[in-house]
Amino acid sequence: MDIKALLQRTELFCGLEDADLEEVAALCTERVFKRGDVLTRQGAPGAALFIIAEGLVEVLVRSQAAQQAVVNLGVGQIIGEMSFVDRGFHSATVQALQTPTVAYAIQHDDFRALCEENNRIGYRVLLNLAADLSFKLRQRHWSGG
Amino acid sequence: MAVWKVSYVVKGSDKPGGIVNLDHEPELGETLRVGGDQFEVLEVLELIPPRGEFHYVHATCQEIDRQT
Repeated sequence: MDIKALLQRTELFCGLEDADLEEVAALCTERVFKRGDVLTRQGAPGAALFIIAEGLVEVLVRSQAAQQAVVNLGVGQIIGEMSFVDRGFHSATVQALQTPTVAYAIQHDDFRALCEENNRIGYRVLLNLAADLSFKLRQRHWSGG
Repeated sequence: MAVWKVSYVVKGSDKPGGIVNLDHEPELGETLRVGGDQFEVLEVLELIPPRGEFHYVHATCQEIDRQT
């Protein structure tokens, strides 16, 4: 799947026009991971958003002594969105469950600049980001988390 | 190009649930393949109304014993 096709199937970019998607695609850098590789580490500064293009990742949260897998995310899901919104540390460790797992990384600073420069993109992305966070919260409720 | 964003949980298992995109609405009895796992779909609920091309559903699943 090429980047634009992936972005069209990723909720974060729902409602964007072709030209907008091309601007977003220009910011994407492909990263390839093996099973067990870490995409983000809980407590580390967040610098990039990831969009899963192939494979599967596991989201792990450490509370006190125990680390627990809370959710798996497949193609079209995003990672690093909380630290994009609040500029805080990553809230979870995310590691690849499959080889290969392919993700497109977008640097937070570049994405913020694009959203500031093009308010149509910025508005849609923030709306979609809120919807994605809401969906993840609902998933946690259903899973008893 | 409709996309079904599916939140799923695995009943009676320690496995975490997940979120995956499908190109069709999951159906009862369907086998959902996620990574190396296979789950039978037991229940499907619309979680929130569709938005654009995106549909949002929640599926309760159970793990399929691969030896059967």
